[in-house]
Amino acid sequence: MNTNLKRVLAVMLCLVMSVTLFVGCGKDTSDKDEQGRTMITVGNYPAEGTPKRETFDARLAAYNAANPDVAVTPLEWSFDLKAFYSQAAGGQLPTVFNANFTEVNPAAQAGYAADLTKVLKKRGYDGQFNQQILDALSPDGKIYSFPISSYIVGLWCNIDLFEKAGLMQEDGTPMQPKTWDELAQFAVKIKEATGKAGIVMASNSNVGGWLFTPLAWSYGVEFMKQNEDGTYTATFNSPEAAAALQFVKDLKWKYDVLPADTLVDNNKKFQLFATGEAAMFLDAGDSAPRLLQYDMDINDMGVMALPAGPAKHVTLLGGYTYMMPSNATDDQLDAAVRWIETEYKSKVDDVVKETKTKDIETQVADGQLVGIKSMSVWSNDSEFVKWNNALIDKYTNINPNHVKLYNEFVANCPAEIRPEERICAQELYGILDNCIQEVWSDKNADVVKVLEKANSDFQNDYLNNF
Amino acid sequence: MKLSKNKGAVSVSATKRKMKIRNDINGWLFLLPTVIMLYILIWRPTVLGAVWSFFKMHAYTVGDFIGLDNFKMVINHSRFWQMMSNTLMYVFWSLVIGFLPPAIIAIMINEVVYFKQSTRILIYVPTIIPGIVAYLMWTYIYAPDNTGLLNMLLSKIGIAPYEWLNDAKFTIAGLNIQSAWKNMGSAMLLYYACLQGASIELYEAAILDGAGMFRRAWTVTRPALSATLLLNFVNQIISVFQALDAPLVMTGGGPNGASANLGFQLYQYAFNSGGRGTGQAMALGVIIFVVLLVATLFYFWINKRIEDSY
Repeated sequence: MNTNLKRVLAVMLCLVMSVTLFVGCGKDTSDKDEQGRTMITVGNYPAEGTPKRETFDARLAAYNAANPDVAVTPLEWSFDLKAFYSQAAGGQLPTVFNANFTEVNPAAQAGYAADLTKVLKKRGYDGQFNQQILDALSPDGKIYSFPISSYIVGLWCNIDLFEKAGLMQEDGTPMQPKTWDELAQFAVKIKEATGKAGIVMASNSNVGGWLFTPLAWSYGVEFMKQNEDGTYTATFNSPEAAAALQFVKDLKWKYDVLPADTLVDNNKKFQLFATGEAAMFLDAGDSAPRLLQYDMDINDMGVMALPAGPAKHVTLLGGYTYMMPSNATDDQLDAAVRWIETEYKSKVDDVVKETKTKDIETQVADGQLVGIKSMSVWSNDSEFVKWNNALIDKYTNINPNHVKLYNEFVANCPAEIRPEERICAQELYGILDNCIQEVWSDKNADVVKVLEKANSDFQNDYLNNF
Repeated sequence: MKLSKNKGAVSVSATKRKMKIRNDINGWLFLLPTVIMLYILIWRPTVLGAVWSFFKMHAYTVGDFIGLDNFKMVINHSRFWQMMSNTLMYVFWSLVIGFLPPAIIAIMINEVVYFKQSTRILIYVPTIIPGIVAYLMWTYIYAPDNTGLLNMLLSKIGIAPYEWLNDAKFTIAGLNIQSAWKNMGSAMLLYYACLQGASIELYEAAILDGAGMFRRAWTVTRPALSATLLLNFVNQIISVFQALDAPLVMTGGGPNGASANLGFQLYQYAFNSGGRGTGQAMALGVIIFVVLLVATLFYFWINKRIEDSY
């Protein structure tokens, strides 16, 4: 190639590369617009033409009227785990956005979540939140998110299959299996009466491991312990864990109440249940939208308490929360909390009333299930909890008895409520998925040996590197 | 006079050079958008990923230099060698199931007289089915109960349902059957196009000499295909070594890691570890890159030999 040409090309490429190398570095860091208003971006804005858009538009109008010092830019951005960490590192997150409880601790540990302790104190939230939920979302004592709704894992049942198996009470309430063994007996009855799987349990994509944890806790399992030097030791090579995994194995080989497919992810689980191929599954009380994707009749849905184990009665805590990126300024954090307050507040004002009512009316019009209550993120005597529960009762579109047992479980939970493991949770779920798959694919699998290897792998591959 | 002649020579040469530069610049300007995109999407991330694989990563924020620690974590992972072995099994099965059949089918279509066009179209149909649809179709074909297509066929001849992808011994072969079915059309067309370039005179001479179909295939068709076959062989090794979508969509790496390969593990590190596995993902990317670099150099070497042979 000609030398001059080489030079021209080299200069051009250098220019391009230099420009792209520093893309984002020169970003304007001011949080004020020309009129001196604090600029914030709000994620999770519903797409144009969707039923929820109108509700959000009304919410935005109310916010703008009450907060002339803030300029809001709505974004149709929603949390996606695959993109989240790179967007966070690139400073591309909205000022305020929704996330699952699961994501708070890893995001905080990676330094991408803003510390809200100061702004929440300033805005009078001391003592307002449910302390158990707040503790689950505060890995180091600081508050990194604003919880808005919370759920616990329960037991879903297909009312049609329960009726055919004679497992309904006279008033239309499904019978509650009180222990895991009783659940297995229920599943056998359903299989005998209908030929359908008594229960579908996930075993793939980390979901199997996630839902195995409350079952294992109820057998007395502790998955890990923190040592005095701050390191962690895996502890699920125990007889309790073997008993829990044996129960899962028995569902396949002793009771024969599972679907034929043993590689079940969340989608498959919801599909099998919603299409009447399985009668029960474990999951949170907010699973109805996933079932409606498969056109399941709302009247066939039922949900109740999670059964107890031989050691204790325990369930898993989860939920939704608002987070803000660590590069947000104090003024932006304050403006973002004010945005959240247009729908979520421990006290009920006219704006909250209007937004929540519009929201629930949209859900009913959209054919969503209304009638399942969530755990309160506020302290027990919150005005909002009572008002919101009355609102759900008013608009419920399901036989209340189908969900009564779960609503009671949530309102006055007799079980211990545990957040998920704080350290290497996703990695643990992946390893537990493998254990479940192994005992379901090999009738002669030795649960003790399976767990011994899993425990050692978890220690060597993850806890030692944490 | 002499001076003026030399001047003229210099002037003509300079003009030619300027014209050449101008022409080349136009060409390179057309290429520039591609070069920029390659730089942003491929070269820059590849280099940065390789550099960051030597650092402690807090998700995508770079921490301290830790030397080879990320590489050690990846290689000392309890399932690393199982996943390496699975990756090689993917390559093996893809060659067994997906390498020669398209060439054989192309030869057969080339030889038949009737239904040539319709057979070609029918074999090409799976190629135009969107990837995710093809995966879902095969999930139902392989369903381990009586709702699965294959098990329905087995039940017609009185054989009990088989577990298909749930069987650790079959799962990689099963995924490769799906992939061979999906990609057979395009490979077959490529071979078929090569066959059209084979000299008709040679076929006629072979027929006059009394050569049968197999003899013709070996002495006339095989040399026409050998270059493409060799390139496809190396190309297939490189692409299957990086396979991710099939285990991700159809088995989630199961049962019990039986279909998890290095690509799948890289995905787990990058996207399923709450941001803690980013450094290991980059280290594993470098390991895969080095292995494939060797294969690619081999590919270029073969490619050059083939080009030189024409």
